[in-house]
Amino acid sequence: MITVNNLTKIYKTHKRNGNFFKDVFFRAYNELEALSQISFEIGNNELVGFIGPNGAGKTTTLKILSGILYPTSGKVSVMDYTPFEKKPSFLKHIAFVMGQRNQLVWDLPSRDSLILQKAIYEIPEDTYKKNVNELTQLLHCADILDKPVKTLSQGQRMKMELVVGLLHRPHIIFFDEPTIGLDIFSQEAIRDFIRQYQSETKATVILTSHYLEDVKKLAKRLIIIDKGSIVYDGSLSNIIEQYSQEKLVVVTLEKVIKKKEIDQIGVRFSYTFPKIIFKIPKARLPEKIKKITQSLPFSDLTVEDEKIEDIVKTFFRKINS
Amino acid sequence: MMKTYIKNATIFYLLSRNALKITLQGRMGVIFFLLGKIIRVLFIFAFLALVFNRTRLVKGYNFEQILVFFLTFNIIDTLGQILYRQVYRFRPLVVSGGFDMVLLKPIHPFIRILLGGVDFLDVLLVIPYFFVTFFIFAKMEISSFHMFLYLLLIINSMVMVTGFHISILALGIATTEVDHTIMIYRDLSAMGRFPMNIYKEPVRGFFTYIIPVSLMMNVPAQAILGLATPWFILFSLLISLGLLCLSLLFWDYALKRYQSWGG
Repeated sequence: MITVNNLTKIYKTHKRNGNFFKDVFFRAYNELEALSQISFEIGNNELVGFIGPNGAGKTTTLKILSGILYPTSGKVSVMDYTPFEKKPSFLKHIAFVMGQRNQLVWDLPSRDSLILQKAIYEIPEDTYKKNVNELTQLLHCADILDKPVKTLSQGQRMKMELVVGLLHRPHIIFFDEPTIGLDIFSQEAIRDFIRQYQSETKATVILTSHYLEDVKKLAKRLIIIDKGSIVYDGSLSNIIEQYSQEKLVVVTLEKVIKKKEIDQIGVRFSYTFPKIIFKIPKARLPEKIKKITQSLPFSDLTVEDEKIEDIVKTFFRKINS
Repeated sequence: MMKTYIKNATIFYLLSRNALKITLQGRMGVIFFLLGKIIRVLFIFAFLALVFNRTRLVKGYNFEQILVFFLTFNIIDTLGQILYRQVYRFRPLVVSGGFDMVLLKPIHPFIRILLGGVDFLDVLLVIPYFFVTFFIFAKMEISSFHMFLYLLLIINSMVMVTGFHISILALGIATTEVDHTIMIYRDLSAMGRFPMNIYKEPVRGFFTYIIPVSLMMNVPAQAILGLATPWFILFSLLISLGLLCLSLLFWDYALKRYQSWGG
């Protein structure tokens, strides 16, 4: 479905010397390699998490895959199309939902944008009604269809962006930071929607997000990109297995105890009554849990995975060391 | 083919309807905009009347002929503003990265960024221009051949206007600069408000052969007044076609260099 071979993208930026005359008349340029010979394949119905630090090349990759940007070199094929040719038959099958971009008409209700979208994608009337109905029900936003976009909250606007962006039932969807700037309830709603939509439509989804919880909850496969190169392409469980060195043991206490009593467990912890969170190396987990249960007055104890953010941090520390 | 035309016409209609809805949200703005434009046109009429009150001819043109040039300029200029108003809003779209969303749609981007914001206030203004112009033509007893030629050359001028606007869009992508370019275009095209031979050489040659303002704004009026040779008309048709082709090439060039600013 998506094949990328030795893809390179170089941006040219104006190099400033600080000399006005030289900057205007003898302009020099910097070449920034945003992507350096990356290759990967994504099959039908996959939901892939695409992560990396700022400026790693995530969005550039998605923009090339969707035909917005022209690659400097390399081969890109999406559903057997060359994206930059922007053939309408290709564009009808894809959607790009960006958390930081707006395609709704700001001054008008979302319904006007939907009607326009219907004409652009040549959606028959009955399919249009059915899709609007389904999408607004999934996102619980039917009541805001006729409100001017400028009066919507950020979370409501993002929901309407999703309705407008997915109205034509695309086969490939690029989500670029779809939960950015949203509160935890809206983040959860958007995540649930993506999961449900993908399982119902069998669409191929590539998701970038700085909230790694999004990726953890949605994707099975993970591609990590750094400085324009792919540094990891594999299963999410594999990276957790390989790079998660600690487990979090969360203990709920029955009564207040002194910090000295917790110190005797002999591992790092944070304590705000009634909760203590211990960070315990995997190898020492059974021994330490035994010690906790014997020495602390607790009412509840749970063992959790390390946060995905911490795992990825460990991963980057290891590859950069 | 027919299906594509119908689809594009439907999208154009919907975009225009949205533009009208947005325009009508600020009613005071509408009133002041219209008043400002009407006052500007009336001032120029008054200025011309004052000039021709003191002299019968200016550079060999009488009052009616000068009016034909002036009104023809206004028709072409206003039609350009009616159809291509969206070009004025292109810079924010490029610098914010909103242009990405335009490129993702299965329609030609020009439908959105060139034709996607019809200015209905200028529609109200172009109607009286047409009436006054054809009233003058009726008084001058223009032949139907010259009338046909006039309309053909107005279309030809619109092809040039289109070419200029596409070039401005391409420049917008390449440099993110639109606002000043469109103002320079407006100022230069305003040189064609009156017949180009009121200017001396090399200004006249520059605005005929280098930047073809004269061909764009003057040739229809010259043709209807019987002042343009067939060769000059043919030359203007070729130049407009060339300008359109060059602007499309420039557009393709710019699109390949688009960097999608704004993250």
